Amino acid sequence: MIGILLAKIKIFIRYPLTFLAMVVMSIGFALLIGGGNGNVINVPTYIADEAIHGTVVEDILNDSEAFNFETMSKDEVEDKIANGKAEIGVELYEGDFRVIVGVESPNVGLVKQTVEGAYSKKLQYEQLFAAANATTDSDKEAVKTDLEKAIADPVFSIQANNFRGSDAVIIDNRYHTLFGFTLFFVIYTIAYNVFHILEEKNNGVWDRIILSPARKWEMYVANFMYSFGTGFLQVLIIFLVFRFWVGIEFGGNFGKAILVLIPYVFSIVALSILITGIVKTVQQFNAVIPIIAVSMAMIGGAFWPLEIVSSKLMLVLSKVVPITYGMEVLNGVAIYGYSFSEILYPISILLLMGVVMTGIGIHLMEKRHV
Amino acid sequence: MLELIDLSKKFKQLYAVKNLNMFIEKGEIVGLLGPNGAGKSTAISMLSSLVDPTTGDVRFHNKSILKNPSPIRKIIGMVPQEIALYTDLSAEENLRFFGRIYRLKGAELKQKIDEILELIGLTDRRKDIVKKFSGGMKRRLNIGVALLHNPELIIMDEPTVGIDPQSRNYILETVKRLNEEKQMTVIYTSHYMEEVEFLCDRIYIMDQGNLIASGTKDEIKRILSAEKTIVIKADRLNDIFIESLRQDPTISSVTVEEKKVTIIVPKEINIFPAVLKLAEEAKLELNSVDIKTPTLEDVFLHLTGRALRD
Repeated sequence: MIGILLAKIKIFIRYPLTFLAMVVMSIGFALLIGGGNGNVINVPTYIADEAIHGTVVEDILNDSEAFNFETMSKDEVEDKIANGKAEIGVELYEGDFRVIVGVESPNVGLVKQTVEGAYSKKLQYEQLFAAANATTDSDKEAVKTDLEKAIADPVFSIQANNFRGSDAVIIDNRYHTLFGFTLFFVIYTIAYNVFHILEEKNNGVWDRIILSPARKWEMYVANFMYSFGTGFLQVLIIFLVFRFWVGIEFGGNFGKAILVLIPYVFSIVALSILITGIVKTVQQFNAVIPIIAVSMAMIGGAFWPLEIVSSKLMLVLSKVVPITYGMEVLNGVAIYGYSFSEILYPISILLLMGVVMTGIGIHLMEKRHV
Repeated sequence: MLELIDLSKKFKQLYAVKNLNMFIEKGEIVGLLGPNGAGKSTAISMLSSLVDPTTGDVRFHNKSILKNPSPIRKIIGMVPQEIALYTDLSAEENLRFFGRIYRLKGAELKQKIDEILELIGLTDRRKDIVKKFSGGMKRRLNIGVALLHNPELIIMDEPTVGIDPQSRNYILETVKRLNEEKQMTVIYTSHYMEEVEFLCDRIYIMDQGNLIASGTKDEIKRILSAEKTIVIKADRLNDIFIESLRQDPTISSVTVEEKKVTIIVPKEINIFPAVLKLAEEAKLELNSVDIKTPTLEDVFLHLTGRALRD
């Protein structure tokens, strides 16, 4: 078994291009579509009243991670909206604001919410200053400092969360594209590694090994381990790049996110074994894999969140594809901060799928050949 | 040593091999001759325990291998028809991989690799990646891998398909040497009758899953002892002439190959005048009419009415 594994690793090291291509594509698509760390929407902003400068409104808008409120003249703001260079713009007054909408999109509500939040905070501060009789700048600064201290060390805290089955969902485009493309592209890497079994059976390498003292289970285990190893290495590299280069936090659960990939990779190796057991030729395999990978990614919510899918049929189909559960465990860990016990259900489904598909796949391969 | 008893293999409704009976004695080279699709590969897959027969038995030293294939697997060196190698690895790496599979290690493995590379003439190319090899070199390595564990019985399934004459001769000479110097038993399948004629002590001829003749070369050729083979050559053979030959009741077989017609007739009949007359009637100018010593090809032709490479 070790000999088979070593030979495969040697070939892998000698010809890593396909593997690297899949890694690069996963990272590239996740960065391009998800925006990586550059997923910030520009909002042209006109400050109509100079009194806004130096207030908490300006601070909050500047600190926004989702939007870049870019200050410019009123004409420039209107031009950008009119020319379609920006979908939304904002005009800020001392006690009020105006949102200029070019294209109706979910971002309109989010921008409005952000600016409203900033004005609410400003009002809150003003009431605090009034209550504390802080009229001078130094007094206001002292109240602010006291407030920040109190916020940093609260008397009690409230933790808000979303639970499975609740209507409340968090859709983070960066995480979604990262997870989606990672889970999608790894299917190719794994499938093309598992397919070597069929090639080796067709070219007689397996016959040679069968006639040798090596056991058949050793051959399957070695191939399984190799395919699993390369698949897991790929997702690991992608996640490491996004964690330490792009700076994605994975909700503070990076280690857990890596661990929950194990059942997903296992199920994809099993699926590949099943497909290899069904198809008869390289041509059939090459035709089937992209169809299965893309359709699974669409049905399983790798390209878009399942939450926006309304077709009942699609939602039912999503229950039988591993990507659905792969996305569920990753979202659960990175976005909702679930513990292992809370994601035990999708993990169990993935493991069950893996065991069943491996069994059927090996049975089909054995039935066809030796 | 090895015996195949009424061996059959059926795939769906089609018999790939039907009621095959064979025996192989230690130290001999046995040829399995037949055209593509004759059932040779299926037969050797069954005798090497890689495929279970539908019916029949394979007995090794008088014990069935169907339930316990281990004894025969230990002594078999298999050379499949395909290049059963990791073409992304070098010749040496392939030998090392398959050597390890056969539990060879350390100095013993190294010595064996050197020995095999020397035998197959690839010592200078040991570090080269197999996919860069010529067809002949790949075939030689394909054989070399099968010899790593000193097998008593080597099974070669069309080992010279698609290679140049030089490599082909090298392989044939190597097989002969292995048999003579190491007393290796060889089962050699081919659809090249000249290879089988050159190498084999005994021959089995198969066609469409059936065994149609067997014996030593001379025994098989004696099938044609009552007949003779005549080769007629002409630049432009025409249909009238061929049809006339086919309708002649004294001619038992007519095979056309480009500018050549081969016919088989009873030995006592002088066919020359008839051939010349038919040629004249067909307005055909003949280049030559020769009587030929029967070959295995002629036997096959006689038995099946088709050429081996049809």
